[in-house]
Amino acid sequence: MAIDCAQFEEIVHELERAGTPGFDFREDAFAHAESCPRCASLLDKVMALESALDSLAVQDRSERAPAHVEAALLAEFRRQHAEAAYPRRNVRLTTTTALAMAAALILAIGITVPLWMKHKSNVTGSPVALVAPPNGSAGVASTDETAKGNSASSDFDYATDFVSLPYADDPRTLDGGTVVRVTLSRSALASFGLPVAGMGSSEQIPADIALSEDGVPQAIRLVADADLDPTN
Amino acid sequence: MTTAVELTDEALLAKMIAGDEEAFTALYRRRHPSVYRFALRMSGNRALAEDVTQEVFFALIRHAKRFDPARGSFSAFLFGIARNHLHKRWELDKRLVPSGLGNEDMNGNGSRNGSGKTQFSMAIQMGTTSGNELSKEGSRSTIPGVPEEFVSQETVARVRTAVASLPENYREAVILCDLEEMSYEEAAQALECPVGTVRSRLHRGRAILLEKLDEAPFRYGASAVGE
Repeated sequence: MAIDCAQFEEIVHELERAGTPGFDFREDAFAHAESCPRCASLLDKVMALESALDSLAVQDRSERAPAHVEAALLAEFRRQHAEAAYPRRNVRLTTTTALAMAAALILAIGITVPLWMKHKSNVTGSPVALVAPPNGSAGVASTDETAKGNSASSDFDYATDFVSLPYADDPRTLDGGTVVRVTLSRSALASFGLPVAGMGSSEQIPADIALSEDGVPQAIRLVADADLDPTN
Repeated sequence: MTTAVELTDEALLAKMIAGDEEAFTALYRRRHPSVYRFALRMSGNRALAEDVTQEVFFALIRHAKRFDPARGSFSAFLFGIARNHLHKRWELDKRLVPSGLGNEDMNGNGSRNGSGKTQFSMAIQMGTTSGNELSKEGSRSTIPGVPEEFVSQETVARVRTAVASLPENYREAVILCDLEEMSYEEAAQALECPVGTVRSRLHRGRAILLEKLDEAPFRYGASAVGE
């Protein structure tokens, strides 16, 4: 097939590239160049360029990334596969457990406190706080001391000191708050590390929870006298 | 028993995903030179080319399962990642390069190397390779009348500079199709564009190279290697 100059220019860069349209017409292109000085000149230049590019490719063939790149990649490969083999399950479990415990505690408070408050108001006609913090302030550290001097809680014996909850703020940073009495299941209390073994046989055990000013539970302690369980 | 070097890229990849370190090493050693050269030719910066090569294979370690043989070759997959990392680096570097610098080559062609370096310095960096001696090994030139061994070092250096000064789109096509010997289809996969676009970019890129090199004609014979 005879081709013209425009067609020649379109395929001249593909004459040596197998699988391209130009390669299929290379014989026609060479034949055209023999009869067209302008296209012959272009063909010479393109051939020279081809050859120079080949030489450039060969010259750069020895280019490699330095060895430290491979070393870094191998270290990363080992790290990734070590992690895959030994996932950080303990950490995840701990986090999950803490979150579950916190959720359970908040749920328990949400259910118990209103019941207790209702019960208390029915009995005494007085509202809300079981233990009022001294001077409007109830840090966890001071709550235990002040609670014993408080009329509302003086009848209670405390089986344990306050134990910080897993997500609690630093007790020293608490400026104010409230202590409320709740009942919690034996297992929930045990999950906080409280010694429930000596707390009788009841499944529901009273406890004091120190709330920060924004209502977030910060610490918990057992109340020894089960007879004073406010929900009874 | 088949050794790692005899396996296909896909087979090595499968073993690598299963945690076979030898397969990963074989795959890296097989494929990293072309990725490194691509990054080096595109950026003209060895440190950047090392970073990009490392990032490409980090990505492979973390997301090897993203490779889909139905969408293209493994090689094209790696070039595609390399290209994305280069673009990210250029975007980052652009913020660090004072306005007006780094976006034009020394010939004012407006091409970008993205590293804030001029295209001339790109060519200089590439020219200081350990492979300066011309080798006949692997030559694929079959063009009659132009024996490859007669292409002068000077000519190769000029072509290198000319390639480095091409606008980015054309440079990518020339590097992948001419220097890395990829097919139009593979290059299209790596560049995420249609085959016809690769073909036209390569055509235009080569035409620009000819214009640049036409200023001083190619020399053969007397300036051959070893002169």
